[in-house]
Amino acid sequence: MRRVLAWMLSGMLVLPLVLLVLLSLARHWTWPALLPAELQVRQWRDLFADANGLGTVVLRSLGMGVGVAVVATTLGFASSRSLARHARKGRLLALLHLPFAVSPVVLGVSLLYAFLRLHLAGHMLGVMLAQLVFAYAYAVILLSGFWNQRARSLEELASSLGAGRRQVWLHVLMPLARPLLGVCLFQTFLISWFDYALVLLIGSGQVSTLTMTLYQYFSSGDIRLAATCALLLLTPPLLALGLNHQLLSATIVTRLEAYDDE
Amino acid sequence: MSRSRLPDPWIILLATMTAGPVLAGLVFMLLYSTGLIGLLAHGFTLRYWHDVLDDRQTWITLAYSLTMGLASLAASLVLALALQAALGARLRRGALRGLLFVPLAVPPLVAALLSVEVLGNAGLLARLAHTLGWIDQPGDFPTLLFTPSGIGIVLTHMTLVTPFLLLLLDRLGRNARVADLMQVARTLGASRWQAWRQVCLPVLMRAGMPVLSVYFIALMGAFEVPLLVGAQYPSMVSVLIQRRFSQFDISTRPEAYVLASLYACLAMGLLLALFAWRGRREVGERAS
Repeated sequence: MRRVLAWMLSGMLVLPLVLLVLLSLARHWTWPALLPAELQVRQWRDLFADANGLGTVVLRSLGMGVGVAVVATTLGFASSRSLARHARKGRLLALLHLPFAVSPVVLGVSLLYAFLRLHLAGHMLGVMLAQLVFAYAYAVILLSGFWNQRARSLEELASSLGAGRRQVWLHVLMPLARPLLGVCLFQTFLISWFDYALVLLIGSGQVSTLTMTLYQYFSSGDIRLAATCALLLLTPPLLALGLNHQLLSATIVTRLEAYDDE
Repeated sequence: MSRSRLPDPWIILLATMTAGPVLAGLVFMLLYSTGLIGLLAHGFTLRYWHDVLDDRQTWITLAYSLTMGLASLAASLVLALALQAALGARLRRGALRGLLFVPLAVPPLVAALLSVEVLGNAGLLARLAHTLGWIDQPGDFPTLLFTPSGIGIVLTHMTLVTPFLLLLLDRLGRNARVADLMQVARTLGASRWQAWRQVCLPVLMRAGMPVLSVYFIALMGAFEVPLLVGAQYPSMVSVLIQRRFSQFDISTRPEAYVLASLYACLAMGLLLALFAWRGRREVGERAS
């Protein structure tokens, strides 16, 4: 019985991916057919030929994601050390959750006026700055789990053996934190890569990302290209899943650690 | 002057980058919605606040968001608990171990698109029902999406949240050694159901409450899923704010800001109450 249930659940988890692949390849898939009558690779060929500008959109989204991830992880790593050792860690953790509580839409509409005055609305940089608020907060929460007793002992040991502050960071802390920094880079990349609300509001229709393009295709009824965009959106996280579960499971582990260590 | 008395620049950055934009945004929205700044500024007025607070749609939207958040989380939690109880250690074996992570790689926008293609009147389930001879045309299939009941929103959120909760409960269970505790309860004469209900469930809920509460607040402010599979009316608060804000007629902007301010205060109040409650609980635990 358990085995059957496990297989059924596995099937339900795979089905959406199969459906997306079929949708992106379907030429004719009319009611009430269970499977497409004809398949074609035109959507994918057009994509690689950049016939509808999708290649440029993908590159822009990738660039924004990488930029946000690098800045958020760098700043988050240094901030997380101060957070972990602060006497009022609980209160600071509450502050870190504020952007997530008010939601990207509320933050987007409330900041748009300021971004317009600063000539950042409608620009890639403005969208990245808005995404950075969420990515940075997430990075600090995630990386605060690193600063445990072991990290502190090694830091103190290196200092007592004569290592300078820079040397401690470069030769002790960074190598020790490398796996978690990798997870953080990936997770903060996904915050930008998956974002739709901030691109819509701060981007003001001028910044075209993969999520924006997906929505445009979907609302115009072109489900095949929408499915192609959806598969492209899923590619980095699914590749990461194939390489290392930890890159995705960090969401669960970190949240628990952040709450437990408080 | 001691160096340690100087404020830590990284803590200042932390506060500036997180609370800074939220509070600055809130102050801006309050000033704009009271007629003090912006394109419609003609001196201090509470007209927009009166209009929004007197509008039934405001309260319906807030109550609807609260209900959708709660229903999505509760339904996902019940399903995750049931699956965990039914599957146990099998969750960590075979293909399922890796596949449970797949929904974590799916953004809400894609989940909503999949819901339309699976649950819609001409979707995969409707086609399956037709193949089995249960329905003749798309209209015969029960409408699950774009309905005021919000069932499409809840179902879509369930597909995103349940696997996350299943993984979370599994990890919490292992951290708290729930299997050992249940074994002790069984040895002392408890039935399997009693051991689950009186030992496993309270331990998991107590350990998972902080994450679940934050998740609830995030679901309450969900945007992409209700935008794509929700009804026009009532709508969830993020969708209504975006609609009012993006209208061609800018006279609706102060109202959008009033609604956004109300929601921001509600969500921040809930979050701070949650952290205060946890702080008190931890102090109590340390004292005992």
